[in-house]
Amino acid sequence: MSEIKILLNNEERIVEVQPYETLLEVLREKLGVISPKCGCDRGDCGACNVLLNGRSVRSCLILAVEVDGQEIITVEGISKDGLSKVQESMIDNNSFQCGFCAPGVIISATELLNNNPHPTREDIKEALSGNLCRCTGYLPILEAVENATKE
Amino acid sequence: MSILHDFEYYKPADIKSAVELLDKFGNKAKILAGGTDLVVQMKENIVTPDAVIDIKAIDKLNEISLDDETLFIGACVTFTELMESEIIQKYFPLIKDMSATVASMGIRNRATLVGNICSAVPSADSAPILLVYDAEVVIKSKSGERIIPIEQWFAGPKKTVRKDNELVTGVAIHLIKENHAGCYEKLGRYSGEDLAQAGICVLVFEDQIYHVAFCAVGPVPKRAEITEKFLNGKEITPEVIKQAKKLLLEEISPISDIRSSKEYRIHMMDVMFDRGMKKALNKLRGGTHV
Amino acid sequence: MDKLKYVGKPVVRIDGKEKVSGATRFTDDLEYGQNMLYAALVESTEAHALIKSIDTTEAEKYRGVVAVFTGKDFPYKFGLYMKDRYIFAMDRVRFVGEQVAAVVSRDKRIAEKAAKLVKVEYDPLPALFDQMESLKNDAVLIHPDLGEYVHVPWFFPQAKTNIAHWRKTRQGDIEKGFAEADYILEDTYRVPRYAHCPIETHAAVGLCDLSGRLTVWASSQSPHTQRNLFVEALAPLGFTHKDVRVIAPPIGGGFGGKAGVSMEILAAAMATKLRGNPVRVIWSREREFYNTSQRLGVIAKLKIGVKNDGMFTAIDHRLYWDAGASAEYGANVVNAVGLSATGPYRFPNIFIDSVCLYTNLPPCGAYRGFGYSEFMFGLESHINRIATHLKMDPVTLRKKNAIQEGDILAYGVPMNPSGLLKAIDAVEKEIEWSKKVKPIDSNKVIGKGFSLIWKAPAMPPNASSAAFIKFSEDGSLNILVSGMDMGQGFLTVMAQIAAEILTVPVSKIRTENPDTDRNPYEWQTVASHVTWSCGNAVRNAAINARDQIFEIVERACDLPKDELYLKDEKVKCKAKPEFELPLKNFVIDGIQTEDGTFRGGPILGKGIFMPEFTSANSDPETSQGGHPNVHYTVGAAAIILEIDKDTGEMHVKKVVEAIDAGKAINPDLVKGQITGGLLQGLSTVLYEDMRYDEKGKLLNPNFTDYKIPTAKDIPDEIVPIIIEVPQPDGPFGARGVGEHTMIPAAPMVANAIQDALGVRIKTMPITQEKVAMTYLKKKEK
Repeated sequence: MSEIKILLNNEERIVEVQPYETLLEVLREKLGVISPKCGCDRGDCGACNVLLNGRSVRSCLILAVEVDGQEIITVEGISKDGLSKVQESMIDNNSFQCGFCAPGVIISATELLNNNPHPTREDIKEALSGNLCRCTGYLPILEAVENATKE
Repeated sequence: MSILHDFEYYKPADIKSAVELLDKFGNKAKILAGGTDLVVQMKENIVTPDAVIDIKAIDKLNEISLDDETLFIGACVTFTELMESEIIQKYFPLIKDMSATVASMGIRNRATLVGNICSAVPSADSAPILLVYDAEVVIKSKSGERIIPIEQWFAGPKKTVRKDNELVTGVAIHLIKENHAGCYEKLGRYSGEDLAQAGICVLVFEDQIYHVAFCAVGPVPKRAEITEKFLNGKEITPEVIKQAKKLLLEEISPISDIRSSKEYRIHMMDVMFDRGMKKALNKLRGGTHV
Repeated sequence: MDKLKYVGKPVVRIDGKEKVSGATRFTDDLEYGQNMLYAALVESTEAHALIKSIDTTEAEKYRGVVAVFTGKDFPYKFGLYMKDRYIFAMDRVRFVGEQVAAVVSRDKRIAEKAAKLVKVEYDPLPALFDQMESLKNDAVLIHPDLGEYVHVPWFFPQAKTNIAHWRKTRQGDIEKGFAEADYILEDTYRVPRYAHCPIETHAAVGLCDLSGRLTVWASSQSPHTQRNLFVEALAPLGFTHKDVRVIAPPIGGGFGGKAGVSMEILAAAMATKLRGNPVRVIWSREREFYNTSQRLGVIAKLKIGVKNDGMFTAIDHRLYWDAGASAEYGANVVNAVGLSATGPYRFPNIFIDSVCLYTNLPPCGAYRGFGYSEFMFGLESHINRIATHLKMDPVTLRKKNAIQEGDILAYGVPMNPSGLLKAIDAVEKEIEWSKKVKPIDSNKVIGKGFSLIWKAPAMPPNASSAAFIKFSEDGSLNILVSGMDMGQGFLTVMAQIAAEILTVPVSKIRTENPDTDRNPYEWQTVASHVTWSCGNAVRNAAINARDQIFEIVERACDLPKDELYLKDEKVKCKAKPEFELPLKNFVIDGIQTEDGTFRGGPILGKGIFMPEFTSANSDPETSQGGHPNVHYTVGAAAIILEIDKDTGEMHVKKVVEAIDAGKAINPDLVKGQITGGLLQGLSTVLYEDMRYDEKGKLLNPNFTDYKIPTAKDIPDEIVPIIIEVPQPDGPFGARGVGEHTMIPAAPMVANAIQDALGVRIKTMPITQEKVAMTYLKKKEK
């Protein structure tokens, strides 16, 4: 058991972890952060995406001990002072159906827009192609990301 | 799904400490860089190391550098970092193109090129590019440094010549001065992320020298030496391509698995070699560097 | 009818904010306290075997193990339409991955480690992996006691065979019909199994408290049906309906896979023996593939007779279904197709056999489309081929034979009002059917494909819905129903229906997720029927609430009830235009009269709906005499498909889909169903491919090798078209569209490939590899 300190959604959190615990397990089971979901447990679906030092990563493929001293942002963090533009745009466009993939998609979209405020449709597809959604056919999600970049 | 076995986690701050740990644990240790392969394998009980050695705290291993006309890609450099690197974009755009075909953003942000060749699956996307560039694998151990040409690196499916006490610190590629251009063609089952069902990389030089390498159509990624020998010194005509294809298809040994049939892989190598050569030649004639 | 204010409008989902802010709590996101127990499963490694022994000694001794369960702990059968499965395997296993035992611990890792210590010895039996093998007289019996199984009266299992059900539909004179034909086309089409792949896997938590009350939280499409089946199965332990509660939190996708009961019964059963402790059972992605339910595979032998003028004379459609190790739900898919395998066409002479066969592969059940996607692949392929033979345009041929209102269906009942011809026309126009599209790249060819859409809900004849509507002090309201919003937008649509009648804006309405203790009955959220059925119940509940409102106002204000109406959350009176009374003034507290007393009280609307014209009773030899289906939803679709001749790679340039929603309560959500359903359908034809080894083990139970589409795999353009020919008994004329949207995908792709490359592929999936290799063979010839 070792202690790690992380900046989680802009709050310093200290937690005891075992080497074998993944970041996803620690977020959901020890830190009360449940927006990252376990969809496939092997990095294929993107439902567990979080921002690690600003980059979207699969929290199911990272050991919690690896991220000691680093910064993690989840959808809880993005939402706590009001929704972001892309989230609002997703509501307006009825982007999600079941919404299980939504947190992971929002993480990918947030990273994309942070790095590239005016992405093309192809850029958006590329950035979101690691997030599997079985309901929507993706189009309402892509449109919402596009709309969020327009004034 | 949890990782069921217990292990110790180490995060050495320098290469010396890392190789000491490797020396101590030998085959009971696993090196952790991006973890995109290792963590899955641990969850699925495929590997059960006693020690997991996280090398990301070693500064040198996070570098992309160009010294003495040699590119060095550290063992912890991710595919995203490669795609964003000015050095890569300027001197090795083919590495950028290949990196963009690997998995998806959330994986590329973590997965490393060196991890890709250390996992050594036959479908490793990085391998054909490193092969056509005659890259070298840089290895450190307690007994010092060892440089292994990439052609000698792969020892079988998921096997390399790395010894248990050795740490791959990175790969090195010598800058090519001659005008050349290249192309990586990858067969996936759809546009979304996929493992290469077959992959081929060609590099064409102005003086009619050709480098060709493939992945996922044999036990290890390889240079197509016979095909290259035939092509070298020849102007590319439809007839030359036709004959070269025949040779190439003899050099590969694809299998049928749940992903693709042997027949389709063979057929697609034929198609991709053709298209890859054309694209690379077009780039060369277009005067663009690579 | 007055102009509609909320119905027919593209209202934003009422749960949208919850979903994008990460606030939605799915089953595994809820807190169940410190007493949680984790269950790890021991699964069959054999496809078909007798269980010789199960040794749990080592597992029981393992430190931290709380309990180990096997079949003998719960010797109870269960099933939706036929009780043919056990909670854990009893004397035999019937597929690789079947649950044989479970190990429970407070630590999930300990449970998993100890589960590996359970030793099961098997005595292997011959295994059947192909339904045609199961059909043979000398085939090993997968359910030797089939003759004794309890089932619904409209199933016809055959004892001492592997036939779980055989639906026969006969109309006219089939021999005469073929004798009259100028051309007869006969062929066989194969559609394999598919997986639902909701991104949230199955999850259930059971808690039996110390008083004996059992609560199950489950990711479920069917909370009331689950309660009913839990009670049926666990009745020997003394459970009655009042002792069992099912709570269905938001669900991360269903597609039919979370209908009925599968793994949830493990959480319910184990909880009864571990009182006071919640027992958590969560399926891994791998298990989600092989131990929930899959879509049935089918081999369809199809023969159609046609006159030279294009008029169909007869259809002989024989479908052999691979239902897997259990047919408790899957046999109803077979039944539904047996009644509807004519497709949306008039055939004067009909012969349909739909045969449900047990195999030693995982059990199959409901999957979006409920058998229609499967048989429409063959039927719509066949129709194109007939058109080619007749040198007739395939759309013209379809129009000539398209079923219309009043035409007699295969089981002898008239067809409901339908916009089928309107849908065909709309698609034909939008896709520019007669115009050839030329590819830019010389390696590529472009083809067009067309298909019709057709499906009826498959339900027991008395499947019902119920709703309560309750007001709050500020005039906002809660709708209590037990339909599930699995993404289709059910919660929002129910709110729109109530909003329209009660004039309360959708923003002031919450529709609550099911809880069998609190919310009224709903059969299941399947069959694309909740907009229609539960929508009627909500409409009735809203009317009931409105009646109560008018009655109170009449009594308190002395205004005639018949003169009252609602407008903008106020009661108004036609006879007294200056009168207006805001709902919020009295819907809880009542109306005060001059003497200081009050009239009324909390308004609580109640509504139910059950079709009263349906019957499953019919002649088992012909299916004539009953009225099994409530209505059909129809439509049409077409595709422009670009194909790389060398690689086989396919790219969808454009898809048009028109669907007759009767009345689109929320057009934006209908379009969402079209966009999503189409991609799911395209995925079944282009990418998804289940691979089993020769021992019946699924080889690709993961997204690495069972490919579902990504954002990069979508069509360039999708044009959704909504047709509205009202359903007379639907709420505001609405009927369901959720499943239908994926049905045309496979045949229109096959038809487009024929158009582009001149090759006909008769087995799904039609992967790029299959296209390339088929075309290569054609070129070599």
